Amino acid sequence: MARDSDGGGDDEAGGSGHGGRRRAVRDSVERHALLALAAATVALLLGIFYYPVATVFVDSVLVDGRLTARVFVSILRDPFYLGEPARLLAGEPIAAVVESALAPDRRLGVIGFTAYQAALSTVASVALGLPAAYLLARFEFPGRRTLRSLTILPFVLPSIMVAVGFVATFGQRGTLNAVLGALGLGQVNLLFTLEAVVVAHAFYNAPLVARVTTAAWESVDASAVETARSLGASPARAFRDVVAPQLYPSVLMGAALTFVFTFSTFPIVLALGGFQLATVEVFVYRLIRDLEYAEAAALALLELGISLGLLYAYLRYEARHTVRSRGIRPLPRRPLTPPSLSVRELLPRMGLAAYAAVALAVFVAPIASMVLASLSGPEGLTLAHYQFLIDRQTTGASFQVKPWDAVRNSLLFGVASLAVALPMGVVVAVLTTRDYRGRKVVDAVAMAPLAVSGIVVGLGLLRGLVFGVEVGGTRLAVGGGLAIVAAHAVAGYPFVVRTVAPGLEGIDHTLVESARALGAPRARALVDVELPLVWPAVVAGAAFAFAISIGEFSATVVLASGTSQFTMPIAIERFIGRRLGPATAMGVVLLVVTSASFLLIDRLGGDDVGF
Amino acid sequence: MDRRSFLTAAGAAASLSVAGCAGLGGGGDGSSTDESTPAGTTTGDADGSEETLVVGTYSAFIDSPSTSPGAWVKQRFEEEFDARLVWQTPSNELNHYIERRNAGVDIEADMYLGLNTDHLVRVDETLDDGLFADVGDVAGRDDIKPGLQFDPDGRAIPYDTGYISLVFDGTATTAPETFEGLLAEEHAGDLITQNPASSATGRAFLLHTIKQFGPDGYLDYWSDLQDNDVRVLGSWSDAYSAWSGGEAPMVVSYSTDQVFADQNDADLSEHQIRFLNDQGYANPEGMAVFDGADTPTLAREFMGFLLRPDIQGEIAVRNVQFPATESAELPADYAELAQEPPEPVTFGYDELRGSVSGWISDWERQFASN
Repeated sequence: MARDSDGGGDDEAGGSGHGGRRRAVRDSVERHALLALAAATVALLLGIFYYPVATVFVDSVLVDGRLTARVFVSILRDPFYLGEPARLLAGEPIAAVVESALAPDRRLGVIGFTAYQAALSTVASVALGLPAAYLLARFEFPGRRTLRSLTILPFVLPSIMVAVGFVATFGQRGTLNAVLGALGLGQVNLLFTLEAVVVAHAFYNAPLVARVTTAAWESVDASAVETARSLGASPARAFRDVVAPQLYPSVLMGAALTFVFTFSTFPIVLALGGFQLATVEVFVYRLIRDLEYAEAAALALLELGISLGLLYAYLRYEARHTVRSRGIRPLPRRPLTPPSLSVRELLPRMGLAAYAAVALAVFVAPIASMVLASLSGPEGLTLAHYQFLIDRQTTGASFQVKPWDAVRNSLLFGVASLAVALPMGVVVAVLTTRDYRGRKVVDAVAMAPLAVSGIVVGLGLLRGLVFGVEVGGTRLAVGGGLAIVAAHAVAGYPFVVRTVAPGLEGIDHTLVESARALGAPRARALVDVELPLVWPAVVAGAAFAFAISIGEFSATVVLASGTSQFTMPIAIERFIGRRLGPATAMGVVLLVVTSASFLLIDRLGGDDVGF
Repeated sequence: MDRRSFLTAAGAAASLSVAGCAGLGGGGDGSSTDESTPAGTTTGDADGSEETLVVGTYSAFIDSPSTSPGAWVKQRFEEEFDARLVWQTPSNELNHYIERRNAGVDIEADMYLGLNTDHLVRVDETLDDGLFADVGDVAGRDDIKPGLQFDPDGRAIPYDTGYISLVFDGTATTAPETFEGLLAEEHAGDLITQNPASSATGRAFLLHTIKQFGPDGYLDYWSDLQDNDVRVLGSWSDAYSAWSGGEAPMVVSYSTDQVFADQNDADLSEHQIRFLNDQGYANPEGMAVFDGADTPTLAREFMGFLLRPDIQGEIAVRNVQFPATESAELPADYAELAQEPPEPVTFGYDELRGSVSGWISDWERQFASN
């Protein structure tokens, strides 16, 4: 590319032929930028997601080279998977099936049970997430922004770390029982129950609900509330009629994503619940491990269908309930210390104090237990596990995972995949907020990376990319760092779409139209007009995309061309042994690195970014 | 580019750099027949003298936080044989190579270390063409304990074995001596085991109950065990860490548990071993050469090396397992901490073939019936 004319201001040359040509080129680039980005996004998605995943899913309908629906039919007719409804598909009379479905010993089936625990987990996550959103959005206190940044931490923790923390907190000899014992309240036996699994799911997902809801709450326009109040509405009424409707879409988005994530849960269920609570994903894993691909693929497709169906329903709702004209002047935050001792001031704060106690037990205690585990040895406190990390770094063999390399790779992949996921997400958000038929279907399909079984993605990447395809006698294979970045970007970009799209939809379209009428190409209108208006949402999506990259495991381990490309979660997994010290020490490194990153992202995001 | 020279250049960890796109396996043409001409591969070597042996294995063999034999084995082998040893640890272990064979892609490894009997069954039930070559002439093969040979077709030979037993905290309970004893009221909720589909110990324990109660009786036993609140967690580490945390006093694990406990100065009374019915389920680990390996001769030399008495003893200690040979040289006090069962039991290849997946699937359907 010619770089000679790269000095000085763009338009100095004014009407001269040279500058005019340059402007024409720039205009042309800008005019086609969106299209080019969209094409690149589609190509990337096809190459690194849809095609690899399709190489697995095709096994469900293509058995021994012949097209068949047999595998699906046999799953759908199997009460083990589908519970009582399976009998319906097997041809039993409706009345008999309905009767047994209402009986107390009805069978949910694996799919029904998976949905049931996901629903419970969603309720728990919303219940634990909303008070946090209330606290973060409506009250001012020292450390509020730091706290808000750190709410994303649970999101990146590997399940083994969460399991360690939960055993230490909620186990028979755990912190909770110690506290209850000290208070003379007796013991609770929480582990290896559905409750433990649901709480662990809330540990992961309540922060998600809290973050998206906080953002929506901070975008509520104060003047609308003031108008309602001046018209005589009570504070409760103003909340119900003005504030709440603006929160519903975000709460529901958090809930929908929580359901999708917990619907495909796998290691947490087996670590904290046990095999009697096995979910669909447990069986997908088992079937793939035993190379029973047809049944595995069919089961994973059913799992995906349910998740995407739910996301589609949410997207329809979101489209109908977009709130126009997002906040210009946010509601003022109240001090956390009550200004007076009236019931109105005290009651919410007492509620928050009670919530803080619960949050301490659910979120802080497991993480603190993990930190403590990393510092504990047979003879009390020790730094031996951190010494292990240093030893492994300095004296480990070339084929062993080195802690610092893992940190560096995680950050490198995180930043790089963020750089890819952001434009991808914004482009898809733009494309799905235009008016055309079936755009919500496109939107739902674009969300598929959130909902496809991680085990299927891993196998698909192996088959589709690592093994490569034969093109004209040479085998084209993809692996290594660039592929990892692409896979992380694909996994993270849906968050950018989900946070940015509602904002874009809410923007007054006349603003964009004016810009375009003044000659701005579509891409320039986007960058100059729309994105600044939804900047908090962009930063929020960025934070999630980065978090997804930091926490990603299955795609990384498949695509890495050697241990030198392994990331922090893989290092943690490799360091698990008889004693959990080394793994938890690496887990603490992950916590510290991630915390620092998020505090930085929040600071970079601007003064008071909404997420 | 020749695969050999590529591997030599890239080294053990294959530090392909970030630009590692579209390169792996470039000139291999993907057809396994090309690979069956070992002469074609040595010519590509960078310096011509050193042969490279690529060995696939599970990651704990080379990279566990305590001791793993990988680095030591590599160093000793390279010193003696003027060859290069490259470890490969794909995340889905043996399935990675089955997948490669299925897809018609070059296997890229010469042999696999860490085969179980049920792996071999899975290979044979899945692939029409074999994945492994006949083991042929390997020095020291006659020293292998007769009970450990698990491949009737002579492809895999064992290099070590573990015995699966109960490990219990003697300060909290005394483990029963029989399977029936686990059903006693006093042991309700006392036992943690693992998902047989995702854990070798969990699978061994399930198979042991089938050995004991027969294919027609094990499900009834498990039904009683479930009524007595047995916990079936996901992985060995899920189970062992829950046990260490005091969630239950008994866990299904390896009979070498005290070796680790001693290394960590733990109280051995909290790490007691129980062989139910005086039996331990043997889980021999084997090695085999891939069909079409580039350096089959070197691979067989490596296998002979691993079976040598001094190496056997060292691997057993470093992998905290038992040697596969009678002639292994073990430290004098090893037997004090690493316990062998009075009666080792195991299912052979022929018994597992055609049955094991059905047994596990029936168990799953009973245990997770919601």
